[in-house]
Amino acid sequence: MLDKLKKVKEALQNEIEAAATLKDAEQLKIKYLGRKGAINDLMKLIPTLPAEQRATFGQQINSFKIDITDIINEAFKKLSSESIPKVKKEIFDVTLPGKRPFIGKMHPVTRTIEDIKEVFARLGFDVAYGPEVELEYYNFEALNIPPDHPSRTDFDTFYIKNDILLRSQTSTVQIRIMENQKPPIRIIAPGRVYRPDTVDARHSFMFHQVEGLLVDEGVSFSDLKGVLNQFIKTYFGKDVQMRFRPSFFPFTEPSAEVDISCSICSGKGCSVCSYSGWVEILGAGMVNPNVFKSVHYDPEKYTGFAFGMGVERIAMLKHGIDDIRLFYENNIHFLSQF
Amino acid sequence: MKISYNWLKEYVYFYLSPQELADKLTNVGLVVADVKTVEDDFCLDVEVTSNRPDCLGIIGIAREVAAAVGGSLHFPEKNFLSSNTEITKYINITVEEPVLCPHYTARVVRHITVEPSPEWIQKRLRCVGIRPVNNIVDITNYVMMETGQPLHTFDLDKLLDQKIIVRRARSGEEIVAINGARRVLFHDMLVIADGKRPIAIAGIMGGKETEISESTRNVLLECAQFEPRQVRRTSKAVGIASDSSYRFERGTDPEGVDYASQKAVGLVKDCAGGEIASGGIDIRSQRYEREKVTLRMERVHKILGLEIKRDVVSDILKKLQFNVINEVDNYIDVEIPSFRGDVYREIDLIEEVARMYGYNNIPVKTSISVRGSAKSKEEIVEGYIRQFLIGLGFYEVKTFGIVDTSSLQRVNLWSDKEGIDIANPLRQDESRLRTCLLPSLINTKRYNINHGTEQLKIFEIAKVYLAGDKMPQEKTCLSLIADTDFYTVKGIVESLLLNLGILSKCEWTIFNESRLFSNEKATKIQMDRVTLGCLGEASKELGFKTSTSLLELDMDFLVEKSCFTKKYQTLSLYPSVLRDLAIIVDEEVTWADIEKCIASVKISFLKEINFFDIYRGKQIPAEKKSMAFNLCFQAQDRTLKNEEVDIAQQTILDNLCETLGAELRK
Ligand SMILES: [Zn+2]
Repeated sequence: MLDKLKKVKEALQNEIEAAATLKDAEQLKIKYLGRKGAINDLMKLIPTLPAEQRATFGQQINSFKIDITDIINEAFKKLSSESIPKVKKEIFDVTLPGKRPFIGKMHPVTRTIEDIKEVFARLGFDVAYGPEVELEYYNFEALNIPPDHPSRTDFDTFYIKNDILLRSQTSTVQIRIMENQKPPIRIIAPGRVYRPDTVDARHSFMFHQVEGLLVDEGVSFSDLKGVLNQFIKTYFGKDVQMRFRPSFFPFTEPSAEVDISCSICSGKGCSVCSYSGWVEILGAGMVNPNVFKSVHYDPEKYTGFAFGMGVERIAMLKHGIDDIRLFYENNIHFLSQF
Repeated sequence: MKISYNWLKEYVYFYLSPQELADKLTNVGLVVADVKTVEDDFCLDVEVTSNRPDCLGIIGIAREVAAAVGGSLHFPEKNFLSSNTEITKYINITVEEPVLCPHYTARVVRHITVEPSPEWIQKRLRCVGIRPVNNIVDITNYVMMETGQPLHTFDLDKLLDQKIIVRRARSGEEIVAINGARRVLFHDMLVIADGKRPIAIAGIMGGKETEISESTRNVLLECAQFEPRQVRRTSKAVGIASDSSYRFERGTDPEGVDYASQKAVGLVKDCAGGEIASGGIDIRSQRYEREKVTLRMERVHKILGLEIKRDVVSDILKKLQFNVINEVDNYIDVEIPSFRGDVYREIDLIEEVARMYGYNNIPVKTSISVRGSAKSKEEIVEGYIRQFLIGLGFYEVKTFGIVDTSSLQRVNLWSDKEGIDIANPLRQDESRLRTCLLPSLINTKRYNINHGTEQLKIFEIAKVYLAGDKMPQEKTCLSLIADTDFYTVKGIVESLLLNLGILSKCEWTIFNESRLFSNEKATKIQMDRVTLGCLGEASKELGFKTSTSLLELDMDFLVEKSCFTKKYQTLSLYPSVLRDLAIIVDEEVTWADIEKCIASVKISFLKEINFFDIYRGKQIPAEKKSMAFNLCFQAQDRTLKNEEVDIAQQTILDNLCETLGAELRK
């Protein structure tokens, strides 16, 4: 009897392997497990057996039925998955854009101030701040600009009241620092300044300046050139040339305008440098003895230098920005470029 | 100041092309902004700094050129023949204000013919940008451009009573200036008057009534010196500025009056005929004394950091027309020429030396001492906040401190007082110092929406200006706008405070006093009874389409409270136990109430209370809400037993029930 079972199983396995479609499998299922199938045929044999063999054979058929069922189900599974139309294997596309985190930006004016601060910090300059609404004294008299002095024309100013104004230069911080500290002094003072200039591509009634001051014994014009040279080479690049021209500021003497070689045309001449090859970037000079007198420093003992630069101007030069108003419109498409 | 290349060549020999000349002048401090061809000449536009009025005449520029290139100077003669009739026959002059008018001279030319001036004068004037008018006016302009000394001519026959009085204006007196402007004068102004009325605002502009016309036959030529500050004040007060006032307010050469007067009168005779009355009127209150200054060589070295020989220095000074009186050992005594009023101290001479030696020939020294520099607390905090917000996707913006007076800008979160106004605003509608940053940020957001960017997170760190006693109070604020809800921005604030090491607890109270914020979803933040700022969703009135939240914080207070000294706390070696709880409470009960209630139980090993959910609706009775949170228990010295955590949790629950009527949600 066991041989019979074995033969049926072998026959099934052969047929299953040959089955190519679900339909074939279905037919096999009927052929073996159906009401008139092979298993039932075997069941019908049980009464024909000797009584002592019936129980054992019954168990064997049952476990045989489970095996058959598994084999057929397996075939079903295999054939049904094969019956779905073949899909090409998924390919991971590394060229798709990444999921970028959204990061903001520092305003280009802040970025410029931070960069300038960084260079001077390494030269030992501390950062100092002062009020934006100032006494006229700090903006003018203490800086050797007496009332009705013609150089006041160069410093048009917003007034709040008689002797209170919006500072038109960060040089005010020089005086406040020197009033409260004894030399040596080494500071830079960044901040907002205001001037009643009609707004256009080059002018804004509010802009930023960075003022610098170094006072000690034995400080000379030559040191001023040294420090500014360090700054210019660090900030604008090693190949940039520096030029000092005599000028006039009431609070320094000798006074100088400092030019750098035009980075756009490398000194050959272009519209940015008005075809001179040079662009003006800052004003500087030795602290005027009159300024020392107003803060009670002995000008015979101490000497020092001061310098001041317009932050927007430097940012415009560095990034090739042609309109100062862009800084204050705060268009995101502008701000996102820095 | 525009100069003619050919004209300049008349006074100084040099072999430089116009461009080379421009470069030379620029290098000694006279920046040439522009070189233009005008007819057969060149016009150089020279920027003369306000300390150098001597260079507001071509002769002054010639002196600079001579010093810079070493060419010799030669000035034209000023010879003329005068008639036998004394000037005093025609005019009587009194100077009532010798301080305001230290030197007044007049000359008279009779029987002249007013007509166009000769072509050579017209050509030079055109070159320097002055429109020729007639021979008399042109001559005064010509001599002014040549010497820097302004002159004025009156129609002698129109002067009433044959008088000129230099006096203060009588308050209320009127004058119509040559340019047609009618001005009411005041007592603090200096005028030139005839017997009856003002005929010129001294040093600024002549009057129309005594102006030279085609019918003028006899002229009086005024050449004077006026006190610079007086001229400046009056010029500003009457709102008239002229080539003349420009020069007088910078200071003219006290020894230059006579030369200019003689030069002009000679030209008048040459060009307009007539006869010059004998002599001139010359009223001078005091003799001018030339300044003497000693220059110490050691000081030159100290200021410039330059080793330079004494004879090189004295040579430079001589070339600049300074009179070297004495030159011994290591000092030089110098007499300053009258036209260099800007030089009266040793430092002024040192500047002259540096200028002519060449700034670019002074060595570049890099020997300043080493010095450490640390960031201040405000820099650290500001830098941290900036990076923190940028990391969260915020853009930094910068907006103006001067704003309009619209109702939006009138918002004031920091003071009850009105903002501070500017006395001389550029535009009437932009006249106020801002009291709050948020309105500017709102405008910036609107600007960007109009330019196609709807989604936007921006912040600004800047000052607001609050009315104070004398000086305004300047408060640095941090302000931001984000297209998120209330709790997101609140979370930013909480995280920021935590990261700045600010341990003081914040009080969050409903804030409905500002029209910027929604009435419900806004809070005032207080810390140690000081207002730290306000935060909330934007009011509907502002018209933003998406949920937008606003924040403004007091940066100065943040800086003060920040603490960067961190002390390490031992990590617990024992496990923590987390218990989730949900309680049902009345709608009025706030999270702060719950936190406070739990804290009041004082369980030493309760480490954290973390809110995670609020729920209203199904299964929750009306007007009640379910608040879910977890309690984190952890001891430093032992593993907690389940039973003690159970007891602690029960005590907390009991307290919540008793104090807040809470009920455990099952
Ligand atoms: Zn260029």
